[in-house]
Amino acid sequence: MTTENRRGHPVRRRDVIKSGAALVGGAALPGALASQASAAPSGTLVVAAPATPQSLDSNFDVSLGTFEAIAALYDNLLEFKKIPDPKRAGAFREDIADHPDMPAGLAVQGKLAQSFELDPAGKFIRFQLRPGVKSNWGNELTAEDVKWTWDRKFGLKAIGAFYLSTLGLDKPEGVKVEGKYTVSINLDNPNPLLAKLQPNLYAPIYDSTKCKEVATADDPWARKFIENNSAGFGPYRLDQLQRGQQAVFKARPDYYLGKPAMDTVIFREVPTSATRASLLQGGAVDIAQYLQPLEIMKLRDQKDVAVDSVDSSFMIWLELNAKIEPFGNPKVRQAMNFAFPQEQVLKTVFQGLAGPLNGCMPNIYAGFTDKFWKYKYDPAMAKALLKEAGLASGFKTSLAYNAGDPVQEPIAILYQTALREIGVELELKKVPAATFYNAVSERKQPMIFYVDSPWCPDVGYSMTLYFNSDSFVNYSNYKNDEVDKLIKDTSHTNDQKARLEMMTKAQDIVMSEAPWVFIAYPGYHFARRANLKGFTYYTSNNIRFQDFTRDA
Amino acid sequence: MSVGTHSGPAASGTRPTAGGDAPWRRRLRFFLAVLRARPSFALGYAIVVGVIVIAALAPWIVPFDPMTADPAVYLLPPGGRHLLGTDGAGMDIFSRVLYAPRVDLTIAVAGTLVSAVIGGAIGAVVGYYEGQRAWRRALSTFVMRSADVLQAFPVFVFAIALVAVFGQSVKSIVIAIAFVNVPIYLRLTRSQVLSIRQLRYVEAAYVAGASDLAILWRHVIPNAIAPLVAQLSINIGWSVLLTAGLSFVGAGVVAPTPEWGSMIAMGFQNIVTGQWWPSVFPGIALGLTVFGFALVGASIEVLADPARRRVLSGSLG
Repeated sequence: MTTENRRGHPVRRRDVIKSGAALVGGAALPGALASQASAAPSGTLVVAAPATPQSLDSNFDVSLGTFEAIAALYDNLLEFKKIPDPKRAGAFREDIADHPDMPAGLAVQGKLAQSFELDPAGKFIRFQLRPGVKSNWGNELTAEDVKWTWDRKFGLKAIGAFYLSTLGLDKPEGVKVEGKYTVSINLDNPNPLLAKLQPNLYAPIYDSTKCKEVATADDPWARKFIENNSAGFGPYRLDQLQRGQQAVFKARPDYYLGKPAMDTVIFREVPTSATRASLLQGGAVDIAQYLQPLEIMKLRDQKDVAVDSVDSSFMIWLELNAKIEPFGNPKVRQAMNFAFPQEQVLKTVFQGLAGPLNGCMPNIYAGFTDKFWKYKYDPAMAKALLKEAGLASGFKTSLAYNAGDPVQEPIAILYQTALREIGVELELKKVPAATFYNAVSERKQPMIFYVDSPWCPDVGYSMTLYFNSDSFVNYSNYKNDEVDKLIKDTSHTNDQKARLEMMTKAQDIVMSEAPWVFIAYPGYHFARRANLKGFTYYTSNNIRFQDFTRDA
Repeated sequence: MSVGTHSGPAASGTRPTAGGDAPWRRRLRFFLAVLRARPSFALGYAIVVGVIVIAALAPWIVPFDPMTADPAVYLLPPGGRHLLGTDGAGMDIFSRVLYAPRVDLTIAVAGTLVSAVIGGAIGAVVGYYEGQRAWRRALSTFVMRSADVLQAFPVFVFAIALVAVFGQSVKSIVIAIAFVNVPIYLRLTRSQVLSIRQLRYVEAAYVAGASDLAILWRHVIPNAIAPLVAQLSINIGWSVLLTAGLSFVGAGVVAPTPEWGSMIAMGFQNIVTGQWWPSVFPGIALGLTVFGFALVGASIEVLADPARRRVLSGSLG
């Protein structure tokens, strides 16, 4: 059925429905944004995100929304080179493979640094900064900015301290200003991550001139200022931040790599994924982040919408708390894995969009191996293992899941049913999204879901995060002396071949002792308007507004 | 002692015996006549009785275990073996919808009864002693202002906070419902008692030497109870809604317990992607049940009020 509108164009039923969808989507987007968004000019990018940035300080905040903000407001010294994604035409990704023929064995290139020199022994790295780079406050980048940035990590002892310990940088004097544009990081012991950590999203460089200007005696590191403002050398400046509503970023005309194509970015908080999907479908937003598998599948069939699905560093698993019985026993942990219906979960809950988590680190990182995977669904084997562990009649335990992640509840219910077969009674605990991370980090739950990705694409870094008994991210309380030693040795040598051998051995032990219930590699699925180009996948699993252009 | 319940106004609406019929037969005939004259009341009773019967017989009539997930039948649309389809974990929605009132009604009835008993008792004491000697007046004022404070909080937010404090369990939800409902019964009973305590049969009991407790228990409370009963029915429906609401926001029963609110919460995200059945069917069941209790409440309101009952019986001829 078609009719004609006032301008004489035929109006089809599909158009009416489409307009209705846009209206519904718009209605879900409060205030004037809906109309503003649907009529967005080509230089305006509207993003529907689950949350606005809580803080803009990478030393204190790891919440969703903050990632995108940090990537827009700040730049790093180095970056990985970009290559076309092998699985998705038109998409790009960081080249994180080992390149023995390249400097540092990596495909890294200068960003704020125009060049760098890495000690073959891995004890120092020297950066030659790009002259003439200005911050959003008009201050020129110098070696003092790099020095102040690292001093801030020492001074605040927060997230930055983790990077310091990862590098083995134990004193501020390790970072030396060697000239106006020359700065070096010097270590007592060799460290293989000296160059690899530099492109990390949470290693941005601050404008120290501005930060010192706003610092006070009570706040020498300008925490209050950086929490709500930006002082960086990135492509955007912060125009507005209304937490819980939206953040607006404006492109910087004086950005040293040229003004980004997207002049204005409206980063809007839309907590429900279904609403985000509707808004994208109706054309009210350009990008809908963090959608559920069913929504992604539906959007794939929509006109004017595209979904880029690429391999990612994301993993989802269940922490089995080794300090809460019976999970101290590796046989019980193995049994829990044999009882997990992984294939069915991937097929149903993930709609085939995820791959099996068949290792203990991202499968896109060099050094990963799946040769130790053995946990195909086998309830008989699970029962036998429980019997060996002296739990032939089963046991009772609980699993905590995140109320804010809709895939976790069905996985938990499917697992609960599967565990009944081996006599394990599983109680489910729904934890509000706001307090879920606390529940994980407290390590008081026998079993809890966890979704994470190691941002540094390195086998040693990944294994250290989750399986070093001293790591603050080792939420399963896993401890194995041999694994600890292998991790320590790996972090103190620059011999990549030896590192890979040691980490293969560590993966063997970890997979055998199963501190997790291995669920899935969910992949990264980026839903956008079809005319938006330039999507690039980063191991930090966030987007960078400066990558995007729009077809006319 | 001859002064009792029958001397109070609660008995004043009974009609004279006609034709030697047993009183229960007369009442039943009157009740049926009311239902014929007011079909909406009949519908309410039918819904409530139906829900109660389904809840009682659920284990024998459901075709599938309501708490067993089967990934092979993930999100099947209504029809075939799964009459109302399956949800995102492959559980049969028909079985879960039928099982849900066992939880919803249990919580709602228990929570409402507890609040009625506690609120009614406190309201009776406060109403009886109000305006008397100093410390009793102070106590009465304190209780009423405390009720004001309780009622100043938004009920739903208050209930969420209570569940957060007591932990997520059926018991906690019952406590939360009871707690937020107590002031309603307290006020209702107090206002009834304030007027009843002035009546002559209460004064007579006092003069006859009956203790305060005996007067309250035997003469005041029985005559103040009718509005409470009407309120109970309305409140049960509202409590079902509150239970479902708490589950919807994740503060109610634990998954995968069949409960309408939690079923709606689990399925509502799928509506956009076209799988409407996991949340629409429990939503309909929830709406119908609350509607049924509201109609029953309306009927009790009429039947418990002697004046309105007289008007109604007059119109019935």
